[in-house]
Amino acid sequence: MLAPGAVVAVIKAEKMVNPGLQALTAAALMLPGLVNSTANAADGDEFNFQYGRYEESARDLNGVKSQYKPITVDSLHSGGKVNLTDRIKFAFNFIQDTWSGATPITTAPSGRQGNQPYRQFGTVAGASPYIQTGGDGIETNTVYFDRDLKPLLVDPDSLFSDVTSLGQDRKLVHTMSTASPETRKEGNFKLSYEWDEAAVDIGGGISVEHDYESRFGNAGVRLDFNQKRTTLNAGLSYTNSDSFARLSDHFTKPYLNYIAYQSQLKPVTKDQSGDTQILGKRDDWGGNLGLTQVVNKDALFKLGIGFTHSQGYLENPYKAVTAFFIQPVGLPSLGEFSSTIPFVGIGKAFLEQRPDYRNQWIFSTGWVQHINPLDAAFHFDYRFFHDDWGINAHTFEGDWVQPLGAGWSITPRVRYYSQSAADFYHPYLIVGPSADPGNANLASDNAKLPSAFSSDHRLSGYGALSGGIMLSKQFSKGIRLDAGFEYYTHQGDLKLGGGGEADYADFNYYVANATLNVNLTTLGRSLADDPHAHHRHHSHHHGAPLPAGLMFGHVMSTPGDVMVGYRYMYSRQDGDMLYAGKTVSDRAIVDNGCIENGGTCRTVPEFMNMHMHMLDIMYAATDWLNLMVMPQFMDMDMNARPLSGITPAASGAVDHLHGGHDTGAVGDTGMYALVKLFQTEGHQINMGLGVTAPTGKVDIKLNRMHKFDSGYIHYGMQLGSGTWDFKPSLTYTGQASDWSWGAQVSGTKRLEARNSVGFALGDAVQSTAWGSYNVLDWLAASVRGIYTAQGAIKGGFQALPGDCAINYNQNVVQPCVDINPKGGSMDNPKNYGGHYWDVGFGLNAMIPDGAFAGHNFSVEWLQPVEDNVNGYQLERSGTLNATWMYAF
Amino acid sequence: MKISLFLIALFTAPFLTACAEVQPWERGNLAKPQMALDPYPLQSELRGHSYGAREAAGAGNAGTGGGCGCY
Repeated sequence: MLAPGAVVAVIKAEKMVNPGLQALTAAALMLPGLVNSTANAADGDEFNFQYGRYEESARDLNGVKSQYKPITVDSLHSGGKVNLTDRIKFAFNFIQDTWSGATPITTAPSGRQGNQPYRQFGTVAGASPYIQTGGDGIETNTVYFDRDLKPLLVDPDSLFSDVTSLGQDRKLVHTMSTASPETRKEGNFKLSYEWDEAAVDIGGGISVEHDYESRFGNAGVRLDFNQKRTTLNAGLSYTNSDSFARLSDHFTKPYLNYIAYQSQLKPVTKDQSGDTQILGKRDDWGGNLGLTQVVNKDALFKLGIGFTHSQGYLENPYKAVTAFFIQPVGLPSLGEFSSTIPFVGIGKAFLEQRPDYRNQWIFSTGWVQHINPLDAAFHFDYRFFHDDWGINAHTFEGDWVQPLGAGWSITPRVRYYSQSAADFYHPYLIVGPSADPGNANLASDNAKLPSAFSSDHRLSGYGALSGGIMLSKQFSKGIRLDAGFEYYTHQGDLKLGGGGEADYADFNYYVANATLNVNLTTLGRSLADDPHAHHRHHSHHHGAPLPAGLMFGHVMSTPGDVMVGYRYMYSRQDGDMLYAGKTVSDRAIVDNGCIENGGTCRTVPEFMNMHMHMLDIMYAATDWLNLMVMPQFMDMDMNARPLSGITPAASGAVDHLHGGHDTGAVGDTGMYALVKLFQTEGHQINMGLGVTAPTGKVDIKLNRMHKFDSGYIHYGMQLGSGTWDFKPSLTYTGQASDWSWGAQVSGTKRLEARNSVGFALGDAVQSTAWGSYNVLDWLAASVRGIYTAQGAIKGGFQALPGDCAINYNQNVVQPCVDINPKGGSMDNPKNYGGHYWDVGFGLNAMIPDGAFAGHNFSVEWLQPVEDNVNGYQLERSGTLNATWMYAF
Repeated sequence: MKISLFLIALFTAPFLTACAEVQPWERGNLAKPQMALDPYPLQSELRGHSYGAREAAGAGNAGTGGGCGCY
């Protein structure tokens, strides 16, 4: 045990540090970072959060408008870096992407009519993908060819007499298709150990999506020479991936030739869709060497070389190639006749086939120049890529990072990329005659194809030009906000040296991002000058430890203080179907669960998961008023099951039973003021007043399939309320020695009667009380009870006109005034809300020292005790809350 | 391929010239945040993810995740 005198001596010694010496030490501290690779560019503890949005332009479909919206991707990235000791660093990241929208599945001359326009109420409403073989006959699956095997446009009125040419068909067109929203999640880490002039690191992670999973590991070494003027990096990596791509039985499989993958096809067993999936395995090994050199006091130079060997299933399972089986016009098999056109080709679609291995080499070099008069930095990078699929690519990139003063900086950026086509890239194939033109899956057709072929535009020759701008603002206390935007154009004409793909494959996209970066070490440094440094860590949580699921419980009392937090919430429903708190039979749900929607119920949810990521930024404006902003990011997935007792539909698609649904993107954004109403020793009362802005989408729709529309996905899968909501709260907290306790009442009042699509979620009230005991100095355990009441949904989705599958038969499709789903219990607004009791068990850790000193971590599990639901609903299984907070 | 060799030669050339002696106390400019090899790594990752899903040369990211990019 230390004598009190020793502690005083330590504090005195710290105060005696010479300011000049401290500045020099700080400068020296910055040096090791300056020639590091990007992997360890920044020193110190750091937390960051980024939201990104990618949006693609619509493709040119020769004047036809696809029914699908172009691809959009919402991305979330949160991560941190921590110095576990002076020499050991740990970095971790969580990344999540949700995407939806249209993508090309195959390409053919325009005469193939790969996107069939459909009409609703007398006007063309969109176009559906169409790659059928046989069936509908010569007007849709055939293309006529001249003597040189160039495709021809033909007069449609002549198809059943003497087919006549209208000249060469010079236009290729993508067939556009889409998948419903899908989410990918990735977690990764890197652990590194640093010596004075060397470092080693190992890292790894996992990336999971419905149809793809990959696991990866890497290791690297860094060596500094020449007083750190020269740095060498070397790294090795390995990735192991599995694909399990679903070939939907009702949508894809009948139209595609999948014989090449016969041995990899397995039935889907995890749901009742009856679909088939392609199983593919893939391994990637990579190695790289890099060198960074200080050229002079204003310039850095870098050089790198990398190699990747990939092996296994390298195909994109959602890309097909259209092959035309050429035969002379007039053979009895098709029954057509032409006195002038020599050839007709029968179009068939094949799942693409790529070689089973790929070797890729990358050579890169770059220059970083400080521009003294402007204090700017110019970055220039060039990359050359070569692989044994025949692709050569060049990338040129220039950034100008311009500090503007007062913490602002602006970075314009230009990038140019050009690649040549893969040897086996063909927009479409022309091959010998087919033994059976009407058969989509014929082994003898495959024997006539080359060994590898793809019409994925990513393997074509083209160039891409992009430009963007980044704006960055460094605030005090190590907080930095960045906002960036980049516009990208992909064009065949931009290929270096010309000869790129025709303009049918051109497209553009933009990607925008907003980033919060908190450098916790900067805070630590500034605290070193602060005579109160030793007291500050304690002042953050003079309040009692709070359960993880509780918000608005704490008001910071030092004006100017900032708190950054991250809240994660996961909740799941997968119990029995309930009616008014009791288990209910399928029969009763069929008869009564959907009455308000004008019919019987056919499906109920089988499970539903919701994940919510919230960023919590709080600022102490005065000692009694805190301002708070909470952006949210949501993602949800669910699956439905058919109720026993219904007549099954001919296709599960009519009931949306095809492997579940995902949604995900930004949720509603909260803005709050917290006011300290009353405080005395051991007791405090706070009031929260706030609103949530309707930034979450409420108009997400299911895809059109089989020529019928599907309307809005049900209420619980939408990402927000769609209304401005008022959120008041009143919280009491108390504390005496190792015990603390509290109670809170909070509410949600919708400020609008209906949102933009016609409904309003029910108002809600929640009350809770808890007790907490400090089992250790830094660890508290809590128990709490929660009562929640929420009203049913008011109104309902506005009617959407479109094509309906009448009586759940996808073969009888008629225009109707409302296509919104009605047959699921979750489609009925009355089956929402209820009265709930939960019990919460939590732990709250306030880390006193070490790498995480001052950080607060808490977790809480909410166990449902009673679900007294409105109408017919799925039982809740529980909710997990996990939070991290740091105040400074 | 000829173009490639030319470009490689062009961008390697500066490296062949001798580098000046830069003492640690002369590295003030080099230590500025704008001079970091990648001043905005999170944005680079997001942009790189978009390139990787849209370009044939997007690979070389093996061992760092990224998923299928099959859209």
